[in-house]
Amino acid sequence: MSTEEEPKRRKVLDATLGLKNIMGRHFLAIEQAYRDGKPTAWATSGTPVELLYTMDVQPMLPENSATVSAAQHLSKNFIEIAEEQGFSYDLCSYFKTNIGAVAENAEMIKGGTRKPTFMLSSDVICDTHVDWFQTQAERMKVPHFTIDVPHIVSNTNQRQYEYYKKYVSEQLWELMDFIEVHTGHKLDIEKAKKVARNSYELGTLWQEIFDLRKNIPCPVSTRDTFGGLFPLFTMTGLKAPIRLYKRMYREAKERVDDGIGALREEKYRLAFEGIPFWYNLKFFSKLEQWGAIIVYETYTYAFSKYVNPNVTEQMVISKPIEAMSELMLKFWYIYDLQTRIKKYKEMVDEWKVDGVLLHNNMSCRPNSCGLYDLKRHLQEDYDIPCLIIDCDMNDPRKMNETQLENKLSSFFELLEQRK
Amino acid sequence: MGLSKKVKKLAIIDACVDTPEEIILAADLVPHRLFGDPSLPHSAADEHVPPTHCVWTRNILEQGLRGLPGDIAGLLSIHGCDCTNRQFDIWLDSVKADFMYFLNSPLKRNNTALKFFSEDLKEFALQLEEYFKVEITDEKLHESIVLMNKIRETLKTISEFRNKMILKYSELHELLKLVLTSDKSQALKICEDKLEELKTRDSFSESHLKRILLTGSVLDDTSFIKQLENTGFHIVIDDLCLGTHYFWNTIEESGDPIKAIAQYHLEKPIYSTKVPSHARYEYMKTLIDAYSVEGVVNIAQKFCESVLYDHPFLKTKFKELNIPYLFVEKEYNREAYKQLSTRFDAFAEII
Ligand code: SF4
Ligand code: SF4
Repeated sequence: MSTEEEPKRRKVLDATLGLKNIMGRHFLAIEQAYRDGKPTAWATSGTPVELLYTMDVQPMLPENSATVSAAQHLSKNFIEIAEEQGFSYDLCSYFKTNIGAVAENAEMIKGGTRKPTFMLSSDVICDTHVDWFQTQAERMKVPHFTIDVPHIVSNTNQRQYEYYKKYVSEQLWELMDFIEVHTGHKLDIEKAKKVARNSYELGTLWQEIFDLRKNIPCPVSTRDTFGGLFPLFTMTGLKAPIRLYKRMYREAKERVDDGIGALREEKYRLAFEGIPFWYNLKFFSKLEQWGAIIVYETYTYAFSKYVNPNVTEQMVISKPIEAMSELMLKFWYIYDLQTRIKKYKEMVDEWKVDGVLLHNNMSCRPNSCGLYDLKRHLQEDYDIPCLIIDCDMNDPRKMNETQLENKLSSFFELLEQRK
Repeated sequence: MGLSKKVKKLAIIDACVDTPEEIILAADLVPHRLFGDPSLPHSAADEHVPPTHCVWTRNILEQGLRGLPGDIAGLLSIHGCDCTNRQFDIWLDSVKADFMYFLNSPLKRNNTALKFFSEDLKEFALQLEEYFKVEITDEKLHESIVLMNKIRETLKTISEFRNKMILKYSELHELLKLVLTSDKSQALKICEDKLEELKTRDSFSESHLKRILLTGSVLDDTSFIKQLENTGFHIVIDDLCLGTHYFWNTIEESGDPIKAIAQYHLEKPIYSTKVPSHARYEYMKTLIDAYSVEGVVNIAQKFCESVLYDHPFLKTKFKELNIPYLFVEKEYNREAYKQLSTRFDAFAEII
């Protein structure tokens, strides 16, 4: 194709188109599990889904389902149903989407989900996860297991870290007992190793794709990563998504080798903090009108999981429970403020980022707490331009597009002046 | 306890009452719980915390940013909710007291959690010893457990005067705040004197008052409690941190003192930040029967997720129980309280 004929942006990676199939497989596996009478579990993100696969329990992730509703513009209706039931306007919109979807008996392709054998939550990411499953487990009359993960702060010392880890490990053993009681399934060590190996491979492949995004021009945009993320939530431990990520990697690598970017004229390289607005992914395409591309999202990177240097492939396979405990205690999404600032600075350097968009998510207390301080430090200590965007990931009522565009316009003017 | 020398205070940020005051006392420090100040504008805290975060923690942070009193020698923050937990790093970054500890009071209440909490309490004691150059012996811990138990028992006896229509919750509330910020030997004396005085008091004559149970978030502004009382309610019992949660149980005085402290906290009435928070209902149900409660008022600090999540469950449960139930979200400033009067009036009428 000659330069004149080239579109301003390139389409998504061909491999990403295979995502629909992969996710379709996930939903089919759920349907199949119900047909076969196989146990199922709801799980919140951040819990070791690998353990469920290992013990032959089919996982379902209601957060993931909530995004499916939002992408089809159904979340607002579900959220309002939850509010009619008394859940506050200010509570997490994933949670409320799920409350509404369950109340409406929504189909799985619309973000509905089914009554599971049990529920597995944890406070590692947020309190909402625990309150959410407590509410739904009570309504659906199913057992609920919560993993209590101690909160790491900027002055937690190694001694504390060690007994935190022990506490999490002990609960993972208790979780296996719980699963055995409610499903009759026992832990199969050989299967555990296989699942752990797959999970490790999937996570590290995702990181390798991200590494390719360090190149100028960046070969992969959010068109690939926002959707591409889902297998990391729902299918980690399985083989199928590995094949998909390998294809994504190969194609992205070819783009790098040919000097081709996802955006034809890459002017600004941005990082995005927070959860995307699932009901309005077009917003991210709009950035292209300013010649901007997002080259790094902490959210999508976080779930590659294996970012803790203490956790090696060997450890994941030989001591899976210890590895899972380590992983639950330290990953992008829950870094303490000091670590978050440090990692940000490293990321900005490595991915050659010109500016950072920070989503102040009105649904999400844990994600938005510390955001102002992160911004202040990045700007004052490292002279990294930042823009705070007030919005919500699943509740379209909380997005003010005009205001957002004005803010972005001023931000790009600022970036232009710095060029 | 020898606190006559220069008294050092340890500031406490606690979404409930999970502070191991006995350990702090055994380190020759005075636990000094921070209370909100509804007259304070939040200009400094607004620079750190987005507008959709809990109004109470914002107020406490504001105080920290403006500068804590000079006799505060350090700070202890307790694992509560996403707001208290995540804001600790902001305190570390922007308030910078010399000694700062984040205590991971566990979410769950089983043996594994008990073992973990005991370890974290030991670590806290160790860090106090290292920093303040003190020795926290089992004897000192035992001594402070005995003292705190006496305070708890006295407070529980005092609280019963609410049922006799002699004491209002606002008065107990003020007393609790004094206990939570004073040298504990003095606090015991104050409580004992109050008890003696109550024994001589007549019951108040306002027989028209509706007997309610008050529950909700941390409610630490006594003027708010008074406003509620002035609308025609008698808060005969409560399910609150600054209330029965502080004195309902006592600590086992024999055996390993740290373990006993941990055990106490895992057995006392549960707060919404812990699991299963719905168990709060069971506790309230027993109180409703025991204290002939006519209605339940649940107050959430604005953006208090823990309480907001529980509200629809409680609404259903109280409906089943046929107990009138009112849920209200409140801001943390006195001007805004006034707007709630009509809702309180309306509720008083339906009871
Ligand atoms: S958006 Fe935030 S509060 Fe909601 S489930 Fe995710 S992490 Fe939790
Ligand atoms: S009032 Fe609620 S949100 Fe605020 S600190 Fe207490 S538990 Fe947390």
